[in-house]
Amino acid sequence: MADSNRIAGYSAARAAPAPRYSTGMAKIVNSAIYRHTLGAVVETRIGRVILLAGVPLIWLVMLHVGPIYQMLKISLLSHYPIQPGVESHYTLDNYAIFFRESLYFTPLLKSFVFATAATAVTLLVVYPVAYYVAKIVKPEGRTKALLLLLVPFWAGELIRTFSVIMLLANRGGLNVLLREVGIIDRPIPMLYTSFSLGFGLVYLICLYMLLPLYSAIEKIPTQYLDAAADLGAGPFTRFRRIILPLSKDGIVSGCSLVFLTCIGVFATPMLLGGPNTVLFPETISGFFHGASDKWPVGAAFALIMLVTALITAAIFMRLVGGKKRNAF
Amino acid sequence: MSDKFETNRRTALKFLGTGAAVLAVPYIIRPRPAWADNGVLNVTTYDKFLPQEFVEKFQKDTGIEVRIRLTDDQGKQYNLLTAEGANPSTDIVTVAGHRYTQFINSKLLQPLDTGKISNWKNLNTAYQDAPWARVDGNLWGLPILAGYEGLARNVDYVKDAPSWEIMFDPQYKGQTSYIVSDFMTIVMQYLGHDGDFVTYVDKPDIAQKATNEARDFLIKNKDMVRKYYDAGSEVQQMFINEDIYLAHSWSGPAAKLIMDGHPIQLSVPKEGTFGFCYTLNVVNNAPNAENAYKLLDAILASPEVGAAMTRQSGYSSTMNGVGDLLDEREKLASTLPQEEVDRIIFFSSVNRDMKNEMIDRATAEVKAA
Repeated sequence: MADSNRIAGYSAARAAPAPRYSTGMAKIVNSAIYRHTLGAVVETRIGRVILLAGVPLIWLVMLHVGPIYQMLKISLLSHYPIQPGVESHYTLDNYAIFFRESLYFTPLLKSFVFATAATAVTLLVVYPVAYYVAKIVKPEGRTKALLLLLVPFWAGELIRTFSVIMLLANRGGLNVLLREVGIIDRPIPMLYTSFSLGFGLVYLICLYMLLPLYSAIEKIPTQYLDAAADLGAGPFTRFRRIILPLSKDGIVSGCSLVFLTCIGVFATPMLLGGPNTVLFPETISGFFHGASDKWPVGAAFALIMLVTALITAAIFMRLVGGKKRNAF
Repeated sequence: MSDKFETNRRTALKFLGTGAAVLAVPYIIRPRPAWADNGVLNVTTYDKFLPQEFVEKFQKDTGIEVRIRLTDDQGKQYNLLTAEGANPSTDIVTVAGHRYTQFINSKLLQPLDTGKISNWKNLNTAYQDAPWARVDGNLWGLPILAGYEGLARNVDYVKDAPSWEIMFDPQYKGQTSYIVSDFMTIVMQYLGHDGDFVTYVDKPDIAQKATNEARDFLIKNKDMVRKYYDAGSEVQQMFINEDIYLAHSWSGPAAKLIMDGHPIQLSVPKEGTFGFCYTLNVVNNAPNAENAYKLLDAILASPEVGAAMTRQSGYSSTMNGVGDLLDEREKLASTLPQEEVDRIIFFSSVNRDMKNEMIDRATAEVKAA
């Protein structure tokens, strides 16, 4: 059907008597308005490609490029929002502040350290889970297992963050449990520390690691592992020589996703972090919410964070991902 | 099977239709624009400031739909209102008295016409023409709730706290909390400086020196802090979970804990503190200004509304007759001994730009340290 349409074309179809289709689509196609407007565009291959590309392009521009462009524009203005009697001009001063004032570098560095550590921990925690679901669980049970793992993610980020607060607080579930079984007599201050922030981040973002890893590991043919075992390879050798290389794409994808998410995460560090875990997004928000009007500086810092995070992720993907090649 | 994607007329149309539908979803599901409808009123205010029962009754009595947009920060309101310019999407904002000049100088508010508020007489006389409420000869808002920055403590663990010094007592290491920018002004007072910057007009060097001293003091005592918080609900949560025993807190959230029966006490230490008043203000070019006046009038119609506001927010009401409606615990939570009341100085709107600039920077430095 597709070939006949492409070969015969709209002109031929127009010349022939209109077939008596019963579907809504056919009624639209055979209508006069369609024939003289959209039909003429859809007639050509180029027109169809433009139509198909148009929607995703509009989507990308409106929801991704547009806001970033707006942020870029604000970051170059001397004043924003524009107030009565104040003139605004384009300047690079807002970017210069970051490089001039060392105090803003520390939170950015902290963000990168936390994101890197959280990514590494998430990989270590989630990899065995993904392997278990992809290779140990029977094929008919995998969907159920995945579904069970995904259930917590149906709740929003804030709800899950508050659940961590309820768990780790001085009067939270964990401290109560430890006290009830007699391990402690005074609560351990777990909340508002690097531990609670790391714990919360890993809990919140592990989905981004789980799915790419599961997808990669699930595709590894079991015969490879059987063959390696027949040839005398132990479990660790099989993991190092077969599973790890063949799941590399999933590791790279998962790590990149988790790292980029961790860098930009805002509410969780605000709610779970302590006085020494102030990360860069909180610094940026201070420019937008503070009493002084510093939207342009906040926008410039946001773009600095975006660019450095993307460069870091690209370098990681290049170094670890490398060029596509066969595993054997 | 070929993996080449073939386009034809039918697939192109299907994709186009689906894509257009997806792109149109935000337009379809979004609420009708407020400025296009006379039957609505858009209010930007803090959580729990407007009692739900009052809002429902107002809607029923007037047929005006009240759309509440929550805020937790004066800066957010100011920036969003400024960004919207001459076409604001809100009719009423909730401004703190000491931020008046910032909003007024940017022409974001319209002067209040008290002639349109028939129940104006029900406002406590102390607030009807308070010095801070009149700028450029005009009144700018309806005062609804008053509060102060107090020292909150868990009395099960901290028996007495006559001075702010207790916030730096090693005995309570890792058990205190505060909003850095707000506590900075208190620390400046504690160190003998002017935390409100009123005396620093045209004296930026002295102001900077005083700010730096407070900043360095907070950095030196950073290990006393369990968490820097931002919203009242956070400090409430920390007290309930016993993560902290001491905090610098707005009176509202702490008083609410007392009303709810938690072992919290709120006081004004000997070095003093700052008070503030929240007002409802009609926005300049408000699309539904007449509806806004109807709401302001309805708020003042009955002390029951003021009492409900106090019960919900913990702040003291500005309306006549509210005290008679509160029970003993509610009165206890929102009342201070006279000697402590005397230590409260209302924030001034003088020299705010200098203060904001220096405090914001010092706050970032404390957090980054």
